[in-house]
Amino acid sequence: MTESQDLDLTPRDADDVSVGRKRLRNWLIMGTFTAVIGFVLFQALTSAAQFYYNVDEAVARRGELEDSTFRIQGTVTSEQAPDANGALIFTIAYGGVDTAVRHVGAEPSDLFEIGIPVVSEGHWEGDVFQSRQLLVKHSESYEAENPDRVEYDLDDTPGYVPDNTVE
Amino acid sequence: MHWEYVIPGYLAVFGSLAIYTVLLLRKARRLAAQVPPEKRRFLHD
Amino acid sequence: MLGVLSAVGVAALLLFGLILSPPDVAQADSVRLFYIHVPSAIVGLYLAFGVTCLGSIIHLRNGSVFWDLLAGAAAEIGVVFAGFTLVTGMLWGRPTWGVYWQWDPRLTSTSLSFLLFLGYLAVRRLDLDPAVRSKRAAILGIIGFLNLIIVRQSVQWWRSLHQGSTLNPVDAQIDGLMLFSFFLGLIALTSVFFWLLLHRFRVAWMEHQIEAASVTTALAARRSEAADYDGLAGNT
Repeated sequence: MTESQDLDLTPRDADDVSVGRKRLRNWLIMGTFTAVIGFVLFQALTSAAQFYYNVDEAVARRGELEDSTFRIQGTVTSEQAPDANGALIFTIAYGGVDTAVRHVGAEPSDLFEIGIPVVSEGHWEGDVFQSRQLLVKHSESYEAENPDRVEYDLDDTPGYVPDNTVE
Repeated sequence: MHWEYVIPGYLAVFGSLAIYTVLLLRKARRLAAQVPPEKRRFLHD
Repeated sequence: MLGVLSAVGVAALLLFGLILSPPDVAQADSVRLFYIHVPSAIVGLYLAFGVTCLGSIIHLRNGSVFWDLLAGAAAEIGVVFAGFTLVTGMLWGRPTWGVYWQWDPRLTSTSLSFLLFLGYLAVRRLDLDPAVRSKRAAILGIIGFLNLIIVRQSVQWWRSLHQGSTLNPVDAQIDGLMLFSFFLGLIALTSVFFWLLLHRFRVAWMEHQIEAASVTTALAARRSEAADYDGLAGNT
């Protein structure tokens, strides 16, 4: 009866090959996840750390930014019809400073209009911000559609400068 | 306007919920038959 | 009971979210994604992963099988809801921002949470000793929940394309029927979560019982084999 006391309880299928295969599978699964999470973290640290400059900061840093690509945020204060090349030309303002933006690329969303804050990716070319991506930054408020609604008051936009708009 | 985004969004959410629920309940039924009778705790429907 | 509440809640959410609530003045009908996007985020990220974190802490303290299984069940449903948050967010982002995706702080940290808990589920399926596996999963469950602090604060700590919280109790800038639809979404998805959690936990518990039973059977089989061997040895 002594032999039955120390039973061999190791699983029967646990020969060397399958143990190695299981270990490889475990490492593959965890390796894949570590890689994906690493990629997301890399993206976060390289592009989300300073997501955008406001117009006033971007103008103040024009010298050091040179022709590097960055994002700029401001409220649309005026808009022109597209030029001959199909570029969208408008002005954005923030913190009492405004700048002209020339956007070439995908059309902005339907929400794009005067009084709406936008985030644009591009670079300085002289005094004009050359945009290659134009995103509408929607606010937190929601309002039912109402035909009697009072039109948007431009003076409410942050950093709006009434006398300093581009022709 | 924008229904082309709203409808796929609702379909994705409630469609996935329906599929997940069906798979879960099916698995539950299959497993319930395998549990030894003396261990049937948390099993009353 | 919970199942009935979930079904009624979802039906009411569809009715109010898609038909009775008004379109937004700027966003038109895409605002309807709000009623599933934000509740999915609250239920999936904070409630479900909160249960996972709580279960993980209790499991690490006393080795409770109940809390380990509950944490795993909540994580799976949480990943489903976090997936809803990402999908509806992308579908909402396209008509609003103009793009489906941006590596924005909130979007990035949310996708990181989704991946961390997907990793948590993968750890739970690794071929390891069950006790070791549960312990490692629990540690990851707690880390994953800590990341949610970053998700929560991302719109405050960094400049983000993503809007901040609408449900600011001081001045809720949201139309009445829209707010109602949102709360309906929150109640419906919370109810769906607890109902699914009950069933998912039940499945996990049954799997645990079957596994335990099969080990007992295997042990008994070995014992009887060994006894046979003893018997044979005795005869010769």
